[in-house]
Amino acid sequence: MDRSDIIARFAEVAQDPLAYAAAWKARTGKQVIGSFPMNFPGELAHAADTLPMILQESDEAITVGHGVLFPFYCGYTRSMVDQAASGKFDVLDAIMFGDHCVQLLGAADAIRMKLTDTRVIFFQLISSMCDPWTQGRSEESFGKLRDELEDFIGAKVSDAALHASIRLFNKNRALIRKLYEMRKAGTAAIRAVEMQHVVKSSMIMDKAEHTDLLQELVASYTDAPAADRNVRLHLSGHFCQAPKPELLNMIESCGVTVVGDDLYHGFRYISTDVPETGDPVAGLARWYMDRNTGVPCPTRVQNNVDWEAYLLDAMREEKADGMIVLMAKFCEPHMYYYPEVKEAFEGAGVPHLLIETEHEGMAMEGLKTRVETFVEIVKRREAA
Amino acid sequence: MKRHVMGIDFGSTTAKCVILDMKGNIVADSVAHMGAVSGEGVKAAIRDTLDKAGLEQADMGRTVSTGYGRRMLDEADKNYTEITCHARGAVAMVPGARLVIDIGGQDSKVISVDSNGLVAQFAMNDRCAAGTGKFLEVLARAVEIDLESLGDTALEAKEKLKISSMCATFAETEVISLLAEGYAKTDVLGAVHAAIAARTLGLVGRVGKNGPVVMTGGVAKNPAAVKYIQDALGMPLHLPHKPQIAGALGAALLGLDDYRKQTAYVISEEEDMAHEDQMAQDKACIPGCRGTPELVVDPAEAKPAPRKGGLKSILSTLQDNL
Repeated sequence: MDRSDIIARFAEVAQDPLAYAAAWKARTGKQVIGSFPMNFPGELAHAADTLPMILQESDEAITVGHGVLFPFYCGYTRSMVDQAASGKFDVLDAIMFGDHCVQLLGAADAIRMKLTDTRVIFFQLISSMCDPWTQGRSEESFGKLRDELEDFIGAKVSDAALHASIRLFNKNRALIRKLYEMRKAGTAAIRAVEMQHVVKSSMIMDKAEHTDLLQELVASYTDAPAADRNVRLHLSGHFCQAPKPELLNMIESCGVTVVGDDLYHGFRYISTDVPETGDPVAGLARWYMDRNTGVPCPTRVQNNVDWEAYLLDAMREEKADGMIVLMAKFCEPHMYYYPEVKEAFEGAGVPHLLIETEHEGMAMEGLKTRVETFVEIVKRREAA
Repeated sequence: MKRHVMGIDFGSTTAKCVILDMKGNIVADSVAHMGAVSGEGVKAAIRDTLDKAGLEQADMGRTVSTGYGRRMLDEADKNYTEITCHARGAVAMVPGARLVIDIGGQDSKVISVDSNGLVAQFAMNDRCAAGTGKFLEVLARAVEIDLESLGDTALEAKEKLKISSMCATFAETEVISLLAEGYAKTDVLGAVHAAIAARTLGLVGRVGKNGPVVMTGGVAKNPAAVKYIQDALGMPLHLPHKPQIAGALGAALLGLDDYRKQTAYVISEEEDMAHEDQMAQDKACIPGCRGTPELVVDPAEAKPAPRKGGLKSILSTLQDNL
C-alpha cells in the first residue's frame, strides 16, 4: 500500500470505529472490549485475546441520550451515553470504565443502566501520583483488572502473553513517536488530521495489523518536504475525545503547521512505554506513573510536575511559535487548570489562543477569523 | 511608481473602501450597503471611492482586504482579519489608543493594543449575534422604529428596565412582552442598549480594561449605544469621525507599509508627524464633539488635570488617569 492508501485506511477506521469492531469480530469470532480513554491498559485486554478499543465520541447529534444525561456533561460523556442508549454499543462484549473524572463516573452509571446485558468492568486508579504508596495501589488496581478480565474470558492471562502484548504495544507507540519526531524535524509533512487518523486508529485496530501498516507508513517518508513560511504551532488539550477533523483542517488552512501536541488523540496517548521485563502488572503500574511525568494530565496530582512547564519546554524543543488550546466544553479538569497555563504563557511571553470546542459543532467562520488573527499576531510580533 | 493604496472592508452588512496616498493621507473613502452574497455593495464602494479620488484600480500599488468577505475579492493582493485591521485603523485615528471596541453588523469585538500599536489580545462574540448591529436591527423592527432614530429615542429613556436574554430572538420576545405590558418604547429601547453595553463590558473584561478606548464600527454612530457603553465602562469613548471605515483604513495602512517597503519609499519624519497630528485632530473626538479639530478631554477628567499642552501630553494625562 502506498502512503495515501495507508492513511485512508487509518481514516476509515477512525471515522467508524464500531464498524471496524463489527467486521473484526465477524472475521475472528473473538470478543471486543470497549473502554473509556485516559489510562486504560489495552495490553491486558489484548493479552486476554480480545480486541481492546477506546470508545470514541461520535459525530452524530445527541438524541435519546438527552433523556439519560444532563446537557451540562461534556460532549464525550454525552456521546457515550447516547451511543449506548441508541444501541450502537451492541457490538461490545464488555466495557471497561475508569474513574478519571466525575463526568466519566456519571456516564459509566448511565451506560451500565442502559446496557444491562453487557459485562461492565470498573477500575479505579489512584490520582495522587507521587506518594510512597502510589506504585503499590496502582499495581493493586491493574491486578484486579487482570482478575476481572480472566473471569470474563474464563481463562488465565499468562505473564508471557502479557509481555508479548506489552512489546507489541511499545513497538506501535515507538513507531508513532517516530512520526512525531519526523514532523518536528521537518523531515515528514504530516498534517494534523493525518496524525490524528494514525493515533485514533491505533486506539481501535488490531494492534498487529495497525503496526504493520504503521511500519510501511514510517518508511514511506523518504523525501524531506519543501520548507514553508507557516507559523509553527503546538496543539494542547482534549484529554478524552478527538478534536473534529474540520477544526484541525481549518487551523492548518490559516497558514499554520502543527509541529507538536499533547492531545489524547496525539502524543499523550503514545508518550510512554511499559517496561518489557519483570512483573508485567508492576510494569503497567510504572507506565501509569511515568505517563504523568511524560505528558502531565490535570486530572492527576503530582507536586513535582507542572503541565504548563511541560508545555513551554515541549514548545521550545519543537521550535513552536505559539499554542492553540483546544478545550472541550464542560471539561472541568481542563477548565480549572487553564488559568495556570494562561498565567505561565503570559509570563513567558509565549502567545496562545483558547478555543472552546463543542460536540454540537462550532461556527467555523468566526473561529477561522480568530485563528487567522492569532497567526497575524504571532507573525507581526516576530517581525516587530 | 504608483502613488496610492486601497483598503477594502467587506463586512456582513456594509462594504467600506479607503484610498490613501503614499504619505498615509485619506484621499477618498466610501461606505455602501451590501448585497452580501452578490458582492454588489463592495463593488459599489470600490467604484465610488475610485471616482471620488479620480483614480482607477490599476493606479493602486497595493490593495488589502478585510472583513468576513476578505477572501472573496479578486482586487485584493493580500487580506488580513478585521481584528488586525480595526486595531491598526483605530490606532491611526486615535494615536495612543489601548483598547478598541468595534461593533459591526454581525460581530462585536474588543481588542487590546500594546504600546507598539499591535494587537495584544482580543475577544469577540462567538456564540450568537448578541450585542451587534443585527441585534439592534431585530429589536428596532420589534418596536417598529427606524434603525436611524433608534439611538435618539433610547436616549429619552426615563425608567430602567432589564432585557435579560442575550439571544436576539429571545430578546425580541422580551421586548414585545414589555411593550404589551405598557412600558414606553423609550424605556424599552434604553434597556436594549443597556443589554448591549453589558455584553460589551463582558468582552472588555476578557481582554482587560485599559484606556484610551476607541469605538469603531457602525454602532458607534448610535448615540445611545455610545452613552450606555461609556456609562458601563466608566470611561470616555473616543469616537472617530467615520467609525465605520476604521477596518478599511487599517487594511489600507497595512498595504501602505508593505508597498513602502517594496518601493523603498521613505517618508520624512516631519511629514509623518504632521500627518499623525492631523489624523488625530480630524478624527478623534469624544461623544458630542464630532469633527472638533482637537482631542477633547472628558470634562470630568479635565478638572483634576487641566489641559496643558499638545496632543501627546493630553493622551499621556488621560492614560495616567485611567
